[in-house]
Amino acid sequence: MSEWDELSDDELVALVGEAVAETDAVSDRRREAARGAFAWRSVDEELAELLHDSALEASAAVRSSAEGPRTLSYAGAGLTLELEIDGADVLGEVVGAEVGATGVSVALQRPGVDEVTAPVDAAGFFRFAAVGQGSVRFVVSAGESSLTTPWVTL
Amino acid sequence: MTEQLSTLVPAARGGDQHAWDTIVDRFLPLVGAIIRGHRLSEADGDDVSQTVWLRLVEHLGDLREPAALPGWIRTTTRNECLRLLAARGRVRPVDPQEDDGLRLDAVEDDVADAGLLVVERRQLLREALAELPDARRALLLLLVEVPPIAYEEISRRLGIPIGSIGPTRARALEQLRRTRALRGFGPDLVGGMS
Repeated sequence: MSEWDELSDDELVALVGEAVAETDAVSDRRREAARGAFAWRSVDEELAELLHDSALEASAAVRSSAEGPRTLSYAGAGLTLELEIDGADVLGEVVGAEVGATGVSVALQRPGVDEVTAPVDAAGFFRFAAVGQGSVRFVVSAGESSLTTPWVTL
Repeated sequence: MTEQLSTLVPAARGGDQHAWDTIVDRFLPLVGAIIRGHRLSEADGDDVSQTVWLRLVEHLGDLREPAALPGWIRTTTRNECLRLLAARGRVRPVDPQEDDGLRLDAVEDDVADAGLLVVERRQLLREALAELPDARRALLLLLVEVPPIAYEEISRRLGIPIGSIGPTRARALEQLRRTRALRGFGPDLVGGMS
């Protein structure tokens, strides 16, 4: 006997109705976006590790009343990426041996929008203005090294 | 018969868009139900959904056990909902002067967990429906249409006598109870188990 055997036929039909209704509740917009995500598939991409997200700590429901901007940090490929979400802007710092050399840059990627690239200054800092909300990821290019963050919702 | 995750996941990993679309169609209702349970705005819900699927694209390469996929999707969706709520400042701040602050948060979490059991059961039912032969699934889908469809109309659409709808419904439900999904041999919804 399973729990399903204990239900009458009418009860089971009612549950089937609820299950099917959830399928009908899926918007075409979400379906198209989810299918389109596959275009971001990459065979041998080394992903950076998330070291810290202040939003993850906040979700543990224990935090001080002082509410600063959201901060995230990632590490990989000998680089560390620190991000601060300041309203619609993203301020960042890249730490690593290559920083200070010319040609270090960070790309901001998001589905359906052209990639935007920001130069990293000699001290390792960069900035993206008016980023807004949505699914994004960052790709740091520093000489031979490259760091790609996992996708994150801003 | 529908394609199994053990086939779909390796195919998607190999670049098969159709396999990916099939996975998306199968689990979007689950993702949507979990998002609804967290009461995100429509726009935030779209963003969380998009992030979950992008994360799955990233994750396909190291998802060694296809049966663990439903559990992975469930856990990731829930975590991304909580993360976004926190990022939007909608986690209830804990005031040390208010001694039941923590307890209220705990209660809200319990409610969310109870909601997860419901969404898991519905996902199992959708998996079970997918296992049924086409004709039987078609009958059950017509029987749960909103607003209800008259037996005369069901009879006409499926080309079966009105008198056989009742007995066929009973057999279809019995078969539904015997599916792998409902017998507990379906994909691992809890996640973590191999």
